[in-house]
Amino acid sequence: MTMDMIERTKWLAALTAIPSAELMLLTEELSKGWEIKPMSVPQSGLGMLKLNDTAFAEPFYMGEFPVASAWLKITTPDGHTAEGAAQVMDDRIEVAEAHALCDAILSGHLPGHDRVLTMVEKGLAIREETRLERKRILAHTQVDFSLLDDVGDEKGVPNA
Amino acid sequence: MLKLDPIWQPDSQQKQFRLLLEAMSRPGECYAIATIPEDGSVALSVLATLLDAEVSLADPDDLLRIEDWPMLQAKPELSEQADYILCDGAHPPDFIPKIGTLACPEQSATLLLVVEELGQAINSQSALKMKLTGPGIAASSILSISGLNPEWLSVREDWIDSFPLGVDWILVDKARITALPRTTKVELL
Repeated sequence: MTMDMIERTKWLAALTAIPSAELMLLTEELSKGWEIKPMSVPQSGLGMLKLNDTAFAEPFYMGEFPVASAWLKITTPDGHTAEGAAQVMDDRIEVAEAHALCDAILSGHLPGHDRVLTMVEKGLAIREETRLERKRILAHTQVDFSLLDDVGDEKGVPNA
Repeated sequence: MLKLDPIWQPDSQQKQFRLLLEAMSRPGECYAIATIPEDGSVALSVLATLLDAEVSLADPDDLLRIEDWPMLQAKPELSEQADYILCDGAHPPDFIPKIGTLACPEQSATLLLVVEELGQAINSQSALKMKLTGPGIAASSILSISGLNPEWLSVREDWIDSFPLGVDWILVDKARITALPRTTKVELL
């Protein structure tokens, strides 16, 4: 699989399935000797999830979640440049930076992009496995309401 | 992993904020800027401390670089509507900033003026020497500014005429900072 076959919007979702320590180790190794400049201030904090209640359609905050973001620009010693960004549900800036680096490496075809692509493929496989597992669980919990017709009403009279 | 200039780091910004509070409390006193940026203007250090995504900024004289904007996160705005306005003090103003309303006088603009040199005594013929009085000043004090077009002082009088409406000024040179809040009376000498 080449990275042109995987949409950029799916890179981050795939990479978040990989243990962050593994990803950070890879980006640390790949980025040695590169100039990495922040394009915005990397930040971490809490995000608020706002939803509308179903009765009155009034907004309420369901809860908070950790969020970290980074946007950076890489310049390699041979003068290649690439920009990458990431926003992840994690309270560590370093994790967002590692994802932003992967995004830049892949988008700019920088040295090591094949190794990052392998990670993306691995992540996609993990995500697919999780999706199938959830589908299986969901299938087990499905209720066939048509069986209620055979039971009949409260007096035991079968429904028409 | 990422190398951030100290002006974007919380500990430096806290020191800079403390300095700004001190400068606002003691109008006309000049303070050495806590963190000089490695790359970019000194004014950027002040803006980095004050701005976030909730406020707007105007840069009519194009003193900022394109790459500074996403770092500051502030929304770009016209000078007439901006919360903060960065100006070159050498150019006369060609706008009227927000001066707030009687109900919300704090919803006014803060001007950051970049000048050549600030001090109590400057040996420059073009420097404007002024006597300051008002809250935060014991009796009176003297401030000299070089690289400030006199037109600024004239329009400031109009802007602060209807106290509590008005604007607050922060002035920076290459290494120092001073403030002229709306409560300070300025008399050219």
